[in-house]
Amino acid sequence: MKRFYLLMFLIALMWAGYSHGADVAPTTHEAMVSGQARSVIAASSSVQENKVGIGDVRASAVVGESPDEEAIDEEEEDEEEVMGEISIADPLEPFNRAMFQFNDRLYFWVVKPVAQGYKKVVPESGRTSVKNFFTNLGFPKRFVSCLFQADFGGAATELGRFVVNTVWGVGGLLDPAANKELDLQRQDADIGQTLGIYGLGHGFYIVWPVLGPSSLRDTVDIAGEYFQYPFTYADPWYVGPSVRAYEGVNSASLRIGDYEALKEAAIDPYVALRNAYAQYRQNMVKKKEKREAPAPVEVKPAQRMFQ
Amino acid sequence: MKRCFVGFIALFVFVLPLTAHAGAPSDAINDTANKVIAILKNKSLSAAAKKERLEVIYKRMFDEVELSRLSLGRNWNRLNPSQQQEFVQLFRKILEKAYGDKILEYKDEKVKITGERMISADRAEVQTKVIGSSKEIPVFYRLRLKDGEWKVYDVVIENVSLVQNYRAQFTDILAKNSPSQLIEILRKKVQ
Repeated sequence: MKRFYLLMFLIALMWAGYSHGADVAPTTHEAMVSGQARSVIAASSSVQENKVGIGDVRASAVVGESPDEEAIDEEEEDEEEVMGEISIADPLEPFNRAMFQFNDRLYFWVVKPVAQGYKKVVPESGRTSVKNFFTNLGFPKRFVSCLFQADFGGAATELGRFVVNTVWGVGGLLDPAANKELDLQRQDADIGQTLGIYGLGHGFYIVWPVLGPSSLRDTVDIAGEYFQYPFTYADPWYVGPSVRAYEGVNSASLRIGDYEALKEAAIDPYVALRNAYAQYRQNMVKKKEKREAPAPVEVKPAQRMFQ
Repeated sequence: MKRCFVGFIALFVFVLPLTAHAGAPSDAINDTANKVIAILKNKSLSAAAKKERLEVIYKRMFDEVELSRLSLGRNWNRLNPSQQQEFVQLFRKILEKAYGDKILEYKDEKVKITGERMISADRAEVQTKVIGSSKEIPVFYRLRLKDGEWKVYDVVIENVSLVQNYRAQFTDILAKNSPSQLIEILRKKVQ
């Protein structure tokens, strides 16, 4: 029996020592630690059942570690992913930089002061309702885009949201569809994203005055949105632009400080914004592509971890 | 049999700290988020005292060298060791200056962990949502297991990776400037 205790003690020491003292090969060690935790459990359970010798424990430990060799290969690929760059062509850089300056001034000299004044008058709940209202009006764009992406579930969700929020959400001022019971979340779908899913690249980066960062591909979206926007067809010509300006001020009032933070954190704000745009749009496309073809590879490592 | 049981318990006592040591990445984020919120909610602390305490947490939470290395990408090796060291310091100051005051504007936002994904054996992504009164912001933390602790090396806010964003900027700057000029630009930035 004493031997048994000694064996236990030795095993415990062995594992504890192995985990802390593997400075010889730091990278492989790090990759294996999570594997070890599992093999320790595997080893301890085999000890419990069979009361086997150290040799057998080692054998089970080796079995426990073998999936991590795959993981190391994966990590090399991942390193590529981590180091890989998401970029966007920018042949119009001088023009774009000028437009960036223009939009920057427009924000600090006009939009921000107006939004701040507006913020003082209208409480946050009111501004959130206005935002919901305009979001609800964006329904046709999202619905049609979902259809073009063959995302019928998404299209149905959007349709359900539109009906629920228009009827029970006081014409879209509230968002009852998004609460826990219904759980109909907004589907961020647009035409630029649809074209991206079809395999069309950005073309190149364009900064539009007033409208901000875009690309050749996503400019189609700006045009499409213009025609899907109900106020475009309002009678005196200035109603459409005025409503848009109001929408812009309202959404700016909810996001005061975001742009400032981005600018403050950036070494070169122009490049920072361009890259943020490229990343944001690429992820919009990726997210939807994943939904279409659910990749089991993505889920596998997590499942392994929680087995 | 009773003795066997005692031995088994003894084994567990040894093994337990080990598993806790490897820790789940989500626990690390949850733990840090709770600590940060406790500091921010503490009304008896001055802004300066809060910042001081947050900096301590930041240093424990982040893998600063990895963050800097990945932000420079392939250009990291163009810096000599002393430049690399200074870069790490300057980079922290830039982040502190940009986000320090923003964090202090805390208004009862909640942090909810929505998922966890293993990127590889020693890299994981913890997906969280920062829930405010009018908006929810998805914030993903990418962590790496280093010396038995999960440390953050990238933060992805609304699908935009901080590291990749800085890498684009540094690549652009280093295409036209030398590493020492870059350090000079950063020095000016933190002043």
